[in-house]
Amino acid sequence: MLDVSGLSVRYDSVIAALEGIDFEVGEGRIVALLGPNGAGKSTLLKAIAGMLPFEQGEIASGKAVFDGVLLNGKHPAAITRSGIALVQDGRQCFRNLSVGENLKAASFRHSKGAEDRLQLVLTYFPILEEFYARPAGVLSGGQLQMLVIGMALMIQPRLLMLDEPSLGLSPVMVQSVFEIVERLHQDLGMTVVVAEQTVPRLMEIADDVYVLSRGHSVLHAPPDEIDEDRLQSLYLS
Amino acid sequence: MFVLQLAVAGIAIGSVYALIALGIVLIYKCSGVVNFAQGGYAMLGAFITYGLTSVGLPSVIALVLAIAVMGGLGALTQILVLRPMLKAPVVAVMMATLGILITFRAVCLLIWGPDQIGFPALFPIGAIELSGIFMTYNYIAAFLLSAILCAGFLAFYHYTPIGLMQRCTADNTRAALAVGIHVSNQVTIAWTASAMLAGLGGALLASLNGLSLGLSNIGLVAFPVIVLGGMTSLPGAVVAGLVLGILQAVTDGVLTPAIERFLREHTDIYSVGTLQQVIPYALLVLVLLVRPQGIFGTKESERV
Ligand SMILES: Nc1ncnc2c1ncn2[C@@H]1O[C@H](COP(=O)(O)OP(=O)(O)O)[C@@H](O)[C@H]1O
Ligand SMILES: [Mg+2]
Repeated sequence: MLDVSGLSVRYDSVIAALEGIDFEVGEGRIVALLGPNGAGKSTLLKAIAGMLPFEQGEIASGKAVFDGVLLNGKHPAAITRSGIALVQDGRQCFRNLSVGENLKAASFRHSKGAEDRLQLVLTYFPILEEFYARPAGVLSGGQLQMLVIGMALMIQPRLLMLDEPSLGLSPVMVQSVFEIVERLHQDLGMTVVVAEQTVPRLMEIADDVYVLSRGHSVLHAPPDEIDEDRLQSLYLS
Repeated sequence: MFVLQLAVAGIAIGSVYALIALGIVLIYKCSGVVNFAQGGYAMLGAFITYGLTSVGLPSVIALVLAIAVMGGLGALTQILVLRPMLKAPVVAVMMATLGILITFRAVCLLIWGPDQIGFPALFPIGAIELSGIFMTYNYIAAFLLSAILCAGFLAFYHYTPIGLMQRCTADNTRAALAVGIHVSNQVTIAWTASAMLAGLGGALLASLNGLSLGLSNIGLVAFPVIVLGGMTSLPGAVVAGLVLGILQAVTDGVLTPAIERFLREHTDIYSVGTLQQVIPYALLVLVLLVRPQGIFGTKESERV
């Protein structure tokens, strides 16, 4: 479904953040993208989503192909329309707008069937219905994570990419975020990429694991071959 | 009664300032750029209206046409000047807007010269008197038009899909991109709307006070007052415009004569010049000492 090959990314024309990354995501799979802070996980996801030009970044070589269509050079708006949603790190949403407006804004460019999707999102995340008219800024970290996943669903993605969704959340919240990911995968057949630093829980649901370190891909393996010790030694290598 | 008369005139002019100020805040909200050229757009809108009437068009049609031209010019400025500067620091972009202001002044100077021009009447001539306060139709019409447009614009911003996308862009660029909003198109829309508001405002001001290059100073005079309004608040911009109008009317009508009388009695100084342009900056310094975030602004100011 998604096929990234030989991808190198630079920031400010000099800083090499990724070198020759191969990264493949099969339809209907959950793929874990692991790596320590600064490894290049966000950079890879932003490259796929077309966000690099807005952060002085660029694809220096290689390509990203989604369902046979080249993504290089496309505007993020076009990429979301082709069915890829990126939930960025830092729970990026519109904090001065109401929860309802956040969801509406997310579906604005994807209006077909938006009403039904809104109902779906509200059944997955009842908390969003409760806070529907409140500003998003009043939500807690876990609730914000629900909101940004809900916004991504409003785009009607076939590929959902989550960048460190568990960062800064309590263990209970982390648990429920991953339960949601699993349900989305089971109920809707959604293909999911999750970037994290270390999460044992993620290994239980992932079909496939990629490990990045300092901009290089250091391992591609099934999850049962990965444990915390191996991960630590890879991170240090 | 004299003060009340001044206040009425001040509110009428201030409501026009509010229109112009809305544009500055609109652009600042979605791009973090302070558009110092806003006064230039106001001046140009007035000159184009004047130019179109001098080739024989009825004044109202000339005004509508001029506003449309200003919209196109706003969009063009954003596309030709601002977009190529996407990666430049915000300060450099603001310097570019100063350059635009200077260019507009030079163009108008070339075509229409430096002298004050009698602006064609946009509204019927006449006046009404209400319990001793005297109001010309001109002032009433400028006030009503500005008030309706300000309210209409705020409603547009809060209740339409384009307004929603504007607010998204203003709130968080990264999130806006991620949900598929073309952020740079939203900035173009902001420049278009802002230039149209300025063009109308400029023509209204010219119809009240006459037209000259001096009209372009309004952006610089309005700036401190908009900072007082909080810079990111549209209602704050409206209040800022009204405050500026009243401030200038009172400065002109009361403060300046009083100070000049005092100076003449005690010194050899006869005039304090255009004090009304200084007062807003003095007020700015005073208020910012107490409330650095402005009166309507929120504490954290986000720069993306
Ligand atoms: N906008 C940027 N400008 C310059 N360098 C950046 C930028 N974003 C990330 N980097 C650099 O690229 C490398 C990878 O960062 P990132 O993709 O954020 O890693 P991760 O998400 O795995 O923590 C880091 O060395 C980081 O400093
Ligand atoms: Mg990251």
